[in-house]
Amino acid sequence: MKQKIFFSAIVLMIFSVQLMAQNPKQLIAAVNKKFNSVQDYSADLKMDFNIPSVNIQTIKGKVFFKKPNKFRVRTHGIVFLPKENPAYALTLLADTNSYTALINGEEKIGNCVCKVVNVIPNKDGDMILGKFWIDAKTALVMRSQLTTKSNGTIQMDNTYEENNLLPSKILFTVDIAKFKIPKALAVDINSKSSTNKSYNTKTAGFITLNFSNYKVNQKLQDAVFTEEEK
Amino acid sequence: MLQLTLVELYKIITKPRSYIGFLAVTVVILLIQFALYLQGDNYINFVFQNLQQTFVMQGNILNGNQICFIILQTLIMQMPLMVALVTGDLISGEAATGTIRLLTTRPFSRIQILLSKYFAGTIYTVCLVAWLGLLALGLSRLIFGDGDIIVIKSESLIILRSTDVLWRFMFAFLIAIVSLVVISSFSMMLSCFTDNSIGPIIISMSVIIVFTIIGTIEVPIFDYIKPFLFTTHMIIWRNLFDNPLDKKQIMESLSVLVFHIAAFLGISLYHFNNKDIQS
Repeated sequence: MKQKIFFSAIVLMIFSVQLMAQNPKQLIAAVNKKFNSVQDYSADLKMDFNIPSVNIQTIKGKVFFKKPNKFRVRTHGIVFLPKENPAYALTLLADTNSYTALINGEEKIGNCVCKVVNVIPNKDGDMILGKFWIDAKTALVMRSQLTTKSNGTIQMDNTYEENNLLPSKILFTVDIAKFKIPKALAVDINSKSSTNKSYNTKTAGFITLNFSNYKVNQKLQDAVFTEEEK
Repeated sequence: MLQLTLVELYKIITKPRSYIGFLAVTVVILLIQFALYLQGDNYINFVFQNLQQTFVMQGNILNGNQICFIILQTLIMQMPLMVALVTGDLISGEAATGTIRLLTTRPFSRIQILLSKYFAGTIYTVCLVAWLGLLALGLSRLIFGDGDIIVIKSESLIILRSTDVLWRFMFAFLIAIVSLVVISSFSMMLSCFTDNSIGPIIISMSVIIVFTIIGTIEVPIFDYIKPFLFTTHMIIWRNLFDNPLDKKQIMESLSVLVFHIAAFLGISLYHFNNKDIQS
């Protein structure tokens, strides 16, 4: 009898875990619950760039975020930032009425087995499709991929330190078109044009954001996001 | 020798045409600064339009260093013409007016006379580049402030941090001086061969224009000629804004420029020393 009860309990537990895991709403709710505890943050930032045809050195700065979607990077110098800010994907997930979510299998990212959740917007807008790789154990988004009409596909790979809600590293992968301007405009007389004439081909560019020294829920003022650089 | 050089400098200073270069540099720089101050964003948007589809470019892009770089790109092709206008006249101008005979009767060797003219021409060139630097870099930084440079190449971009650009500009101006001394030596060499002042100036300008056009056109047959043209090496200042620096290429080009200076000066000295001055 005891064996039967034990066996039934195991079966019920496996079934309920599977049921829960296969329910995208619950998975997203768990992610949102974690993200809801963060109202704002600031952090030190180090940016590394690997963008084809753009030679740019690593730069340090500071990053600020405040809900719902205020984001700012402060650096002493020119930087290239992805059009979507790192918190955009999570902000998108927060509005559960604006999309339909479907689980589309599992994939392993690093050591985590992640549920792949496809998010299809209910209204016609810039975003076409969102894909989220969510670690069901920790309810953290390990990877997100957004396909938009205006900017193509952008992918964010997040790396978390232990027991941290916010990523210590985000690797942005973006599609970029080949940079080319007339030689006369660049006054680049001595250079030779490349033999590859397929100007429309897109290549991948990478931007790595390394975060450190997070300060969460400090009640950041709105002025932080608007005041000019000194 | 110093006295002779000062006399030659005085001659340059008293000629109205010597100020054409300074005036042209001033007008062009002020115009560029004025235009970019008003509508610089349009220029930036045009150049970076395909990158702006993917990225947000953040920072003070139109800063003084960037404006100086744009000015140098624009002016560096025209500066040789302004130098040739003055140095092409140094010998032939005196031959045309007949004062060269009087000059050679003075207790100075012909080599001293020619070298004093060469030094005076070089000082004029240095002053012109210094004026360019003062207005292009100094005034631009005063108006637009300090900042990083985006070195725009036809198929790539290099972003250099503001702390890493001043020394590059200083060396770029030094290379500009060496490049322009090539032109002054060349035009002075031509000046030794004629007795009218217009000829060397026109020939110098024509050679610069033809060489530049050959350098610009991408036809394979010209690739064999390009390394031998001094105009190819005159724009090596741009390589100072590469990252990493191609020191070998810069030194090679500088060597070619110095070789040209030595060759033009040598021919000038030889010809002027043996010239039968009749006018």
